[in-house]
Amino acid sequence: MFINWQLRELNLKVVYYGPALSGKTTNLEQIHQHTNPKQRGELVSLKTREDRTLYFDFLQLELGKISGLTPKIHLYTVPGQSYYEASRKLVLRGADGVVFVADSNKNRVHDNVESWENMKAHLISLNIPSDLPLIVQLNKRDLPNAIDVTELSQTLGVNGHPVFEAVAVQGKGVFNTLKAIINGVVRRVQREMA
Amino acid sequence: MKFQQSNGGHYSLRSGMTIYPSQDKLISETLTDLKQKLPAHLIVLVDVTGQVVSAQGDKNNIDLVSLGSLIAGDLAASQEIARLTGQYQDNQLVLREGQNFHTFIIEAGIHLALLVQVADSVPLGWGRMLTVKAAHRLAEIAEQQPEEVEKSKTAQETEAMLGEEALSDLFTDALDDLWME
Repeated sequence: MFINWQLRELNLKVVYYGPALSGKTTNLEQIHQHTNPKQRGELVSLKTREDRTLYFDFLQLELGKISGLTPKIHLYTVPGQSYYEASRKLVLRGADGVVFVADSNKNRVHDNVESWENMKAHLISLNIPSDLPLIVQLNKRDLPNAIDVTELSQTLGVNGHPVFEAVAVQGKGVFNTLKAIINGVVRRVQREMA
Repeated sequence: MKFQQSNGGHYSLRSGMTIYPSQDKLISETLTDLKQKLPAHLIVLVDVTGQVVSAQGDKNNIDLVSLGSLIAGDLAASQEIARLTGQYQDNQLVLREGQNFHTFIIEAGIHLALLVQVADSVPLGWGRMLTVKAAHRLAEIAEQQPEEVEKSKTAQETEAMLGEEALSDLFTDALDDLWME
């Protein structure tokens, strides 16, 4: 979080985390596609030649004036592939909120759990407070072999974090997830300033 | 919502960073001074998460928002490379020599990163020396506590802006306005 009182700017960082190919970049692409171009920046993607995220994707949203402040939301994704471990941790640095994008494919339960545990370990090592707003998005709900919502939530151990279903490639659930994480982050800002 | 005042009326963040108007002024002065002395083609100061704090120079055709995220990512990657190879030290500086321009990226304390771009006619040693000096100064400014008057004024504004009960609802409304089906 970064506040510039001179400019009345409140800058917040939200990171989309999750296993490879779970739909993190797709979430940002959908947000980019469905938001007013005057109120968002360009989508920055650092990709490999195979079109996979190498370092991060980045998108800034501007929400206009709210209660005298100009909030700017910075959305980042991490690279999902397992060998980009170091990069994932770097992108998480300074996060004000995290969206964990899980893959509902029954065959990818292990990948989800590994990524979830990995995320929690990074948050601890970065000294990010445990009350960090965290939303779980269960993506690819349209798959014929999608795992049951309750079962996946229990397997991950989401422990009260809000869970949203999504089909990000169709834009379904993307906006609700975004609203939920921003809501959580704003409430935490208020708590933090108290 | 009522905020509890602490530290003599100062509302502070437990994490992240706040820049007060007095600090903003000092930052601008430092960057202006650096730009003139080098001279610099472009200077961009960002916080470590990539949010642009201030920029000077030829920035008209540059997407500063995207650049901010890349500066922070670049510095973070360089720091990690240094750490993994056992060469990490504070105030690390990365230099990119170009055909027409040279680019310095340096930590300015724990919260900030500074990009300075100079023409190839500027001697590298001169560029390096002034960039390091400016980074030290910026780090000092970021750590400075504002005067009591400014703290108090900011405290009132904080309560007015962030104390709004329905603030998260206002954000939700703003997001609804932003979204196009």
